[in-house]
Amino acid sequence: MDTLVDRIRQGDRRCLARAMSLMDSAEPQGRRLRDSIRRHSAQVPWWGFTGPPGAGKSTLIDALLIRLRARGRRVGVVAVDPTSPLSDGAFLGDRVRMMRHAVDPDVFIRSLATHHSPGGLSDATLHCARLLELARFDPVLIETVGVGQSEVDVADVADVCVVVLGPGYGDDIQLIKAGLLEIADLLVVNKCDLPDANRLLTAVRQEFAAAAGTDRPVEVVGIEAKSGKGVDELLDRLLELDRSVRDTGRRNQLQYRRVLGEIKRAAMLTYQRALHRGLEDGAVRELVDKLARGDLSLESAVAQLSATVAGAREDAPD
Amino acid sequence: MSKAGPKRILIGKVGLDGHDRGAKFIARALRNAGYEVIYTGIRRTPEQIVRTAVDEDVDALGLSLLSGAHNELFARVVELLQQENAENIVLFCGGTIPDKDIPHLQSLGFRRVFTPGTPLAEILGALEAELAGKR
Ligand SMILES: Nc1nc2c(ncn2[C@@H]2O[C@H](COP(=O)(O)OP(=O)(O)O)[C@@H](O)[C@H]2O)c(=O)[nH]1
Ligand SMILES: [Mg+2]
Repeated sequence: MDTLVDRIRQGDRRCLARAMSLMDSAEPQGRRLRDSIRRHSAQVPWWGFTGPPGAGKSTLIDALLIRLRARGRRVGVVAVDPTSPLSDGAFLGDRVRMMRHAVDPDVFIRSLATHHSPGGLSDATLHCARLLELARFDPVLIETVGVGQSEVDVADVADVCVVVLGPGYGDDIQLIKAGLLEIADLLVVNKCDLPDANRLLTAVRQEFAAAAGTDRPVEVVGIEAKSGKGVDELLDRLLELDRSVRDTGRRNQLQYRRVLGEIKRAAMLTYQRALHRGLEDGAVRELVDKLARGDLSLESAVAQLSATVAGAREDAPD
Repeated sequence: MSKAGPKRILIGKVGLDGHDRGAKFIARALRNAGYEVIYTGIRRTPEQIVRTAVDEDVDALGLSLLSGAHNELFARVVELLQQENAENIVLFCGGTIPDKDIPHLQSLGFRRVFTPGTPLAEILGALEAELAGKR
């Protein structure tokens, strides 16, 4: 394991790519690797990009890559797309917008599927971002699928959080109201070359002006990711946020938040599985009958079920 | 999730032709068949395609081409894969490939060569067989 970690640190791309595949796997080697890289993590800020599909997240990342490279930065990207609910397959389409960076040794892009993870950010995202840090990419950019809970999940792992919106989505304003204010460091209205973008920009600014006076003002920036207009200014703002995150004080906070989120998701998964097993157990029948007859309160039924579930824990991996 | 997740396939388009209906059709069909599919977009160089295949750690790489310049470009992809020690990636290709070129492509390392009109079920079956037991 140590040799794999060493080789990744030395810049072995092939090892990095293979290690990323291991991150999705339940095999012991994957588990060990995940545990062994955690302590090397939280050295560099991660920039998260979220927002509805089609808003221009991938195009924006492509535009930022050009400019970050011009400033001499080595950049890692993890881009997540949804696993099809019908097959286990996925079309990982973010990378096609970033192909001009494919042969740049100082850019590493990895496409991941959600694997049905409800948050829209499979846990592999976090592990792959850590691997990119290990390989000395800085910063690390993360693109979410932008649906469901991913906006909120990305806040668990990203240190600088960018919400990208574009004209043409009727529910954009709904998205803003639904908690994005709390997680967004920057709100980007993309496609300002399109007439409808101005309406959106005005609406978003009004929404945020209403929330002004809170302790966390959010900046709203209009850009054209495709032509690059406004992207330099956006990058300047991002780099400022990046620098403020690098204060040691906040760095410990980052690691704490990332690891806490990791424990939270892993624990929920474990409990969920145990609960499903408990509900399949024959003993649950008795509980249901008692509850139905009125011989038991719902609270007691849940307490008894929890006791059964806790008693029948799956074999601990290590 | 199973121990190893879905297999990953890169669909690449080298050369100058700008038609990618076939490539996109295959990409969609593979997604529906349960693969994780990455598509390079049109007019890519062999270097871009091989770099992408290695970084994305794909199990298979499918090249699509209609312009007829396949022999040199495909050979270059094979050469680059060898330089990267990535011969474990299962290679296949599709497009308007004359019958006379098929043996040459096979000798280069293309496990399967699909010509226009190959039924989808046949393509899926062949890939499944090639990828069985990998990883
Ligand atoms: N008009 C216009 N279209 C854009 C702009 N930026 C991106 N797009 C287009 O929006 C579509 C979706 O872009 P993409 O980056 O894939 O969005 P994502 O799903 O959020 O990653 C593509 O067709 C882009 O070319 C822009 O600034 N203006
Ligand atoms: Mg995208």
